[in-house]
Amino acid sequence: MRINGTWFLGADGITRPVIWAQILTHHGSWIAAPFLVDTGADRTVCSAGVLATLQLPPLVAQERLGGIGGIVPSVLIDTQVRLLQEAGGPITVRGPYAAVTAPDALDMSVMGWDITGLFAVIVDQPGQVVCLVGQRHRYRIAAD
Amino acid sequence: MPEQHPTLILEEVTDPTAIVQAQAQGARCARNMAWLQAHAAEIYPRYRGKHLCIAGEALFVADTPEDAWALATAAHPEDDGRFLYYVPREALARIYAD
Repeated sequence: MRINGTWFLGADGITRPVIWAQILTHHGSWIAAPFLVDTGADRTVCSAGVLATLQLPPLVAQERLGGIGGIVPSVLIDTQVRLLQEAGGPITVRGPYAAVTAPDALDMSVMGWDITGLFAVIVDQPGQVVCLVGQRHRYRIAAD
Repeated sequence: MPEQHPTLILEEVTDPTAIVQAQAQGARCARNMAWLQAHAAEIYPRYRGKHLCIAGEALFVADTPEDAWALATAAHPEDDGRFLYYVPREALARIYAD
């Protein structure tokens, strides 16, 4: 299982590792969304924009999420994240997931350890590689 | 005491129709993403504090994500590869870890 990502140039001029995923809405359709691959984040968190688009009722109104900036207002939502494999069908990862409610809290959604911990994570900017590797796929570190 | 995190369930999609739909949506999203990256230098400085939605390889801008999404959907209803991106008011180093 290999799920490829990209290096995404953000609004601050910094390039960050991103996995493009699809999220299940209240109406049963899927919306596309970039997820920052954040190996330091404990949880996958949807941005406020994604939350608004999903139109899902919150399971918990005041989920607590903390970071450098302190605790940010957030909710818990029951949804699924769909990831596209390089070959073969997509996989879904069923939540619940947290979502922030303040637009300034996140410029894009964050893929945290709850998802990335299911895979080996490769974030290689010199090599221009971002991917999640699991099951029958392996990675190898080689010296020239 | 740390909060207990919800357990996530991973499943492989086997329905052929769902596979084709997901892959087609992914391809459309990739085209929109490439378009945004190609125009990033002109778009980002101009729309600080705004919500962007990219659809049909075109830009839609609003003060709220709902409005940006609605504009993009009205112009390109066929493009389910549209996506939102918020341009922070300030360009500064960000630490995301929660």
